[in-house]
Amino acid sequence: MARRVPDQYITKVKKPNDFDAFWQGVLEQAAKIPLDPQVTLDPLRSSEDVDVYNVYYTSLDQVRIFAWYCVPKQRQGRLPAILTMPGYISDPPISKEWARLGYAALTPAPRGKIRSNRQVNPGYPNLLTHNIVDRHTYVYRGFFVDAWRTVDFLLGREEIDPQRIGVTGGSQGGGLTITTAAMRPEIKAAVAGAPYLTGFIDAIALERTYPYDEINDYLRLYPQQRPQVEETLAYFDGINFADKIRCPTMVYIGLQDNVCPPETGYAVFNAIGSRDKQLYAYDGHGHDSGRYQHNTLVEQFFHTHLKA
Amino acid sequence: MTTASNHKPADFESYWSSTLAELSQISPAPVVEPMPIRTTSDATMYGVRLTSIGPYRLFGYLSIPRGRGPFPAIYQLPNYGSVVEPLPQGTALAKRRRYVTFAIAVRGQRNADQPFAATFPGLLTEGIEDSLGYIYRGIVADCCRGAEYLLSRPEVDTGRVTAAGSDLALITAALDPRFSHTISAPGLFFDTCAVAAKTKGYPLEEINDYLRYRPESRAKVEKTLAYFDLRWFAPQVKATTLLVSGAKGELLGPEALHPLIEALGSQITVYETQHSSYKDGLYAERWLTRQMGFRQAILPAAWR
Repeated sequence: MARRVPDQYITKVKKPNDFDAFWQGVLEQAAKIPLDPQVTLDPLRSSEDVDVYNVYYTSLDQVRIFAWYCVPKQRQGRLPAILTMPGYISDPPISKEWARLGYAALTPAPRGKIRSNRQVNPGYPNLLTHNIVDRHTYVYRGFFVDAWRTVDFLLGREEIDPQRIGVTGGSQGGGLTITTAAMRPEIKAAVAGAPYLTGFIDAIALERTYPYDEINDYLRLYPQQRPQVEETLAYFDGINFADKIRCPTMVYIGLQDNVCPPETGYAVFNAIGSRDKQLYAYDGHGHDSGRYQHNTLVEQFFHTHLKA
Repeated sequence: MTTASNHKPADFESYWSSTLAELSQISPAPVVEPMPIRTTSDATMYGVRLTSIGPYRLFGYLSIPRGRGPFPAIYQLPNYGSVVEPLPQGTALAKRRRYVTFAIAVRGQRNADQPFAATFPGLLTEGIEDSLGYIYRGIVADCCRGAEYLLSRPEVDTGRVTAAGSDLALITAALDPRFSHTISAPGLFFDTCAVAAKTKGYPLEEINDYLRYRPESRAKVEKTLAYFDLRWFAPQVKATTLLVSGAKGELLGPEALHPLIEALGSQITVYETQHSSYKDGLYAERWLTRQMGFRQAILPAAWR
């Protein structure tokens, strides 16, 4: 059977009635936990033009989270900042390139990633289905908060202009970009590439590749758990967060994406609440989502919204 | 500029023959456990533990198709990062019904991270000032250990075995001549210091970080890296090779890789990346399908 045109796809994702109440409760729990940031210069990774710091802060469940923090050595006044959210299997990058463009750049390693896996370490594959039958203990409940708390770290830094914070990332980084822009109104511009963690139940039917197929693996072994799994995932789906986004937002996807089906990219883009939103759909591209040629547009976008 | 990395070490062959001899003295002691959660109607998944030099315990995901073999096999060498998946992200899982697949996690990577948990960045320069202590000497031995194991499996058609991955695929195919094919996208071990000096991107930036921090160590670093340069491995590669290069004019484009391409001889196809995981992936899948004697590639839904 021929696939539908991706932009005509109707998502099966439904928003739970108590979605907002659930996340409000999580944020209230998180707010009671002091951030307790620790910042240490990393002389090995610092260069002539960029200071690189090792950052730790505390997140939900008292889990200590690592992040790379890059600051340009030459600067005048307070800096705009860019959060770079990491992919699913990739190790968080040191974003010196953003610092060279005049931004402070922070890249977190949410729980389970190396440097943040002493207390929580489900591994890969496994993270996507860790405690998936219960939204109150599903690993992404804390994982999302780990990402969102990067904003609190930046707000505590005197070198940062709190009115000029952006967020970006590809794949899981794109999914975290969506949820962070939705839940943190301090975000003033967002760019999501090939967003993952959006349209979970669509993706596992449209494509049969890892990492989404971890969910199919789980359901094959525990078919009786499907209702609980679907219920949990609805609370974590980027499509259900996206209507809260109010900042200028750019999404770019590949029309031959074999990891995050393009149908889910359209669905999350359509759900974004901001009036100022742009979608770039690259034909002839897979999960790279046209990043090679699109990077220039990302730089221009942040320059417009955070520096101009 | 003449550097150590421009010259093949005089003891290159003995360095690697002694490493392989050391490996041969270590029993692999395989332990194979079924993994029901990754087992499908197409194939059974196993977790495999093996011992390499050190001694050090490794891990691999082994998938065996259902039905009567032998089957062609794909040996997936790890990319640079902490995570090794049963099949690379985005691979059509239906390939498991056609191929035995084996993905090895080398020392420091997840599932092989006790007692040594690698950091990224960090692994590329671990022990780099001592050619015998450099972490990649052990990692290459780990890759060879995994190859031995895969090739010993009765389900494998030993005439159709492909080593796939980045630099480690080519190195493994050089050190184990039983591979019929290899697919390699070099990124780390081609004239490493010179290439690193032209980029600020990780992982090669790790070399720049290290030399900025310890400039007095440059000669030792170059000496070590010379033992890992793909140019010196290339003449030993007997497998039919798909070499994925950068685009023209890029750091690892076909012009830059010319010495490597020349050294690999006639059994090579050079494919220049189009900076599209779809186009690049589709080319590689179709190349592999033809080489393995099949007509139809098994592709992800988005590529059909």
